[in-house]
Amino acid sequence: MEEKVLTQHFGLENFYNIDVYLKKGGYQAVRKALIDMNPEKILEEVKAANLRGRGGAGFPAGVKWGFVPEVDKPKYLCVNADEGEPGTFKDRYIMSHNPHMLLEGIIITSFCVGIHTAFIYIRGEYEAIAVRLEQAISEAYKNGFLGKNILEKGFDLDVFVHRGAGAYICGEETGLLESLEGKRGHPRLKPPFPASVGLFQCPTVINNVETISNIPFIILKGAKWFCEKGLPKDGGTRIFGVSGMVKKPGIYELPLGTNLKDIIYKYAGGMAKDKKLKAVIPGGMSAPILTADEIDIKMDFDSLVNAGSMLGSAAIVIIDMDTSILDVLKIVTKFYSHESCGQCTPCRVGSSWINKIVRRIVEGKGKKEDIDNIVRLASNIQGNTLCPLGDAAAMPILSITKKFRKEIESHVTN
Amino acid sequence: MIKIFLDEKPLEVNEGTTVLKAAEEAGIDIPHLCYHPAFLPEGSCRMCLVEIEGLPELELACSTQVREGMKISTKSEKVIEARKGVLEFLLAEHPLDCPICDKAGECELQNYYEEYGLFDSQFKETKEKRQKKVEIGKNLILDLERCILCTRCVRFLREVTKTQDLGVFNRGLHSEINTYDGVPVDNNYSGNLAEICPVGAITDSDFRFKTRSWFLKQGESICPLCSRGCNTIIESHKGFTHFQVPKRVYRIKSRENNDINGYWICDFGRYGYSYLDDKRLDRIIVNNGKEALTWEKAIAFLAEKIKRLHYVKKTSRLVVVLNTWLSNEELFLLKKIFKNDLSVEKIYFIDPADGEDDDFLLTSERSPNRRGAQEIGFDLKPLDREALMEKADLLLIFGQFISDRFNLTEIKAALENIETKIYFATHSDELNSLVDIVLPTTLIPEKEGSLTNVDGIVQKFLPVLEGPGECRPEWKVLVDLGKELGINFNYYKQFNSPEVVLKEMSKEIPFFEKKNE
Repeated sequence: MEEKVLTQHFGLENFYNIDVYLKKGGYQAVRKALIDMNPEKILEEVKAANLRGRGGAGFPAGVKWGFVPEVDKPKYLCVNADEGEPGTFKDRYIMSHNPHMLLEGIIITSFCVGIHTAFIYIRGEYEAIAVRLEQAISEAYKNGFLGKNILEKGFDLDVFVHRGAGAYICGEETGLLESLEGKRGHPRLKPPFPASVGLFQCPTVINNVETISNIPFIILKGAKWFCEKGLPKDGGTRIFGVSGMVKKPGIYELPLGTNLKDIIYKYAGGMAKDKKLKAVIPGGMSAPILTADEIDIKMDFDSLVNAGSMLGSAAIVIIDMDTSILDVLKIVTKFYSHESCGQCTPCRVGSSWINKIVRRIVEGKGKKEDIDNIVRLASNIQGNTLCPLGDAAAMPILSITKKFRKEIESHVTN
Repeated sequence: MIKIFLDEKPLEVNEGTTVLKAAEEAGIDIPHLCYHPAFLPEGSCRMCLVEIEGLPELELACSTQVREGMKISTKSEKVIEARKGVLEFLLAEHPLDCPICDKAGECELQNYYEEYGLFDSQFKETKEKRQKKVEIGKNLILDLERCILCTRCVRFLREVTKTQDLGVFNRGLHSEINTYDGVPVDNNYSGNLAEICPVGAITDSDFRFKTRSWFLKQGESICPLCSRGCNTIIESHKGFTHFQVPKRVYRIKSRENNDINGYWICDFGRYGYSYLDDKRLDRIIVNNGKEALTWEKAIAFLAEKIKRLHYVKKTSRLVVVLNTWLSNEELFLLKKIFKNDLSVEKIYFIDPADGEDDDFLLTSERSPNRRGAQEIGFDLKPLDREALMEKADLLLIFGQFISDRFNLTEIKAALENIETKIYFATHSDELNSLVDIVLPTTLIPEKEGSLTNVDGIVQKFLPVLEGPGECRPEWKVLVDLGKELGINFNYYKQFNSPEVVLKEMSKEIPFFEKKNE
């Protein structure tokens, strides 16, 4: 059953307008958090809700907030709205349909952690959405939900929208921070982690749009309710973005743990033109690919990890039998070689080297040993790079060459 | 101190140090390219990966801090494979033009391939074409194909000179180091860029294609061109059996000293080395048709002249011109002989003219030992025009700087007032024909001694170059003169090396006692 929580009012006319939002009970969560609760209570609730990060890594949000130290420096919240993972388009729906839900989440998070400045780092291509967010922010200021002395509780908060300039790497949290500081989006060495040394060297919370958007519901309905919506260790619903060769591509808000088979055949209407399924990328392009035989699987963090893949950003890409896996590999390798920031050696050279080999295979000049070489190179990238982008590039390459080796071999000579 | 295990060897190391530094101290080499001790770890080259027990992935030695009981392997199979993998990536797009690369022989990438690589290339694709000769500043040529993007140069200009002349442009494989809109690197420290570049990406046009690094002998020295006393390495070439090279010194490099110059030297000191070879004086010159002299005869002649003045109590007719390029020991001997033994009052100093300081290493004083001369007890009376024109029976000149500071007509007129003129010189100049005897002496890298820098740090130096021809170090000449004069024979007899002189100085002058501990 489609569980609409975050998406319940999507499509409602002018729902992005604060008046409509207020009529539907908007900003009740902020009132409850600021008036009836205190930061400790909120943190306790979020921790109990087992809200895991929706950006891709799945780190528990409450734990992350708990890492922020009390120091004599300002603290910042950065909402990651870069949404760069290919196949992912959930955050744009949230921000364009329901920007005030995100703002509520931002206000509560900031109140909980003691933050007075929040940034929404939005990918540059989302120009219209950035404008909508700015409108929503200005409405929130006018209605006293942002600015000085919010709800007369003595709490101040300013929110800024910052547009990126079009780099996948700026969705990596430390690359995002560098970009936000006005520098090249080059990821930082960790440790220190952003929670202690983040934006402008200050403690910083970085959370995905969807993660933050869940906060108002945890506050309004409680951690217990939230956990029941998902799995015990994985609270809440998840917005799955289904794209590729299905009849009804789009976003589907479903409980964590929904079977992938059901998502494809029940919710997304089955295969387009009733073609045969070849493969599924279950969590954004960097998630290792699943074959048609592997789709009877629960869509949650742990089940996918056990299957050798990952839930990532819950972006499901459906590939049918008419699609050449070599083309998939070409697109994947082209993307990562184009988006490698170039800072560290294995990712900079490795991703482009592999792409050069794949292009040669596509041109019909490949040999069997080239496939072995791709595997070897991808293995040398994996685990050896400065940021997770290296792994993100290596994982799909390794899984595609492993699971579809026969098909790739049919394109090469001995 | 905490205990760690490095390749199973137990080690006591300082808390807070990194794996790389701990290994370095234990003599274990962990290859690294982007890491430079002057900067914070960058972690981008990925060469220094090591295996730490209990951690799932390899960790960076350059940025990982040691923890009590940490078990680190720098030689495990996983580490060796990862290293090879990184080297393979670095070399894949690298031009492999070592035979024509100026860095060959001292290239860190080349050395690491020899040490940790030695695999056959699997790269069958086309390498990226990039600019091979970008002039990014004075003496600096950038080869973008050879660059491995360690960003040491970018960080040097950001953190040390704070001029930020270089940046990284474009993304991924297209990433390139370059100047901003072609504005060249222009500061007094740019020469350090060629030195810290681990590969042949930034080469120094002052050095490139002049010789090969493996022909050069390294000698530790101190830069004498200002009073900072930066520690240097002088790289010299001896020539070949059947082939002479045009000069001895090909390059000056910086040598680490965290109390003085860190890892850097200025361009003024780096490139101002031609004086070491140009127009050097290599023989004794006797003018006015007199017979040729050996050093012994020359010293005897000089001593005789001085003794005669001393005997008739006319040392007021003796003028001595010194400079602060002389070592502590030499200045001390000069003070003992001329001030203490002979009570000479007319002792003047002439040094190169002061210049601008640069708020970092370069000081305004263009000589290395002014502080030393002060501490020894000279009042550093300058040789001005009036002093120059004084009448005298005997004039002793040490060093080259008179002809830099006065014009020839003035010097000629001045010297006509003086009966006997003896010139201790390192170079051939106009004065050679105007004096009676010219005695060839040495430059700092050709002798032993010590210098006192602007902050009062006393640094010893040893000879790293052979002095030309008949030249003799001044300290030796002065010891011989002291003995020959006979006033205090036994005192000068003990000084068979500058070290003994310094020991004596420490006894007599409290300043040097402290410094020589």
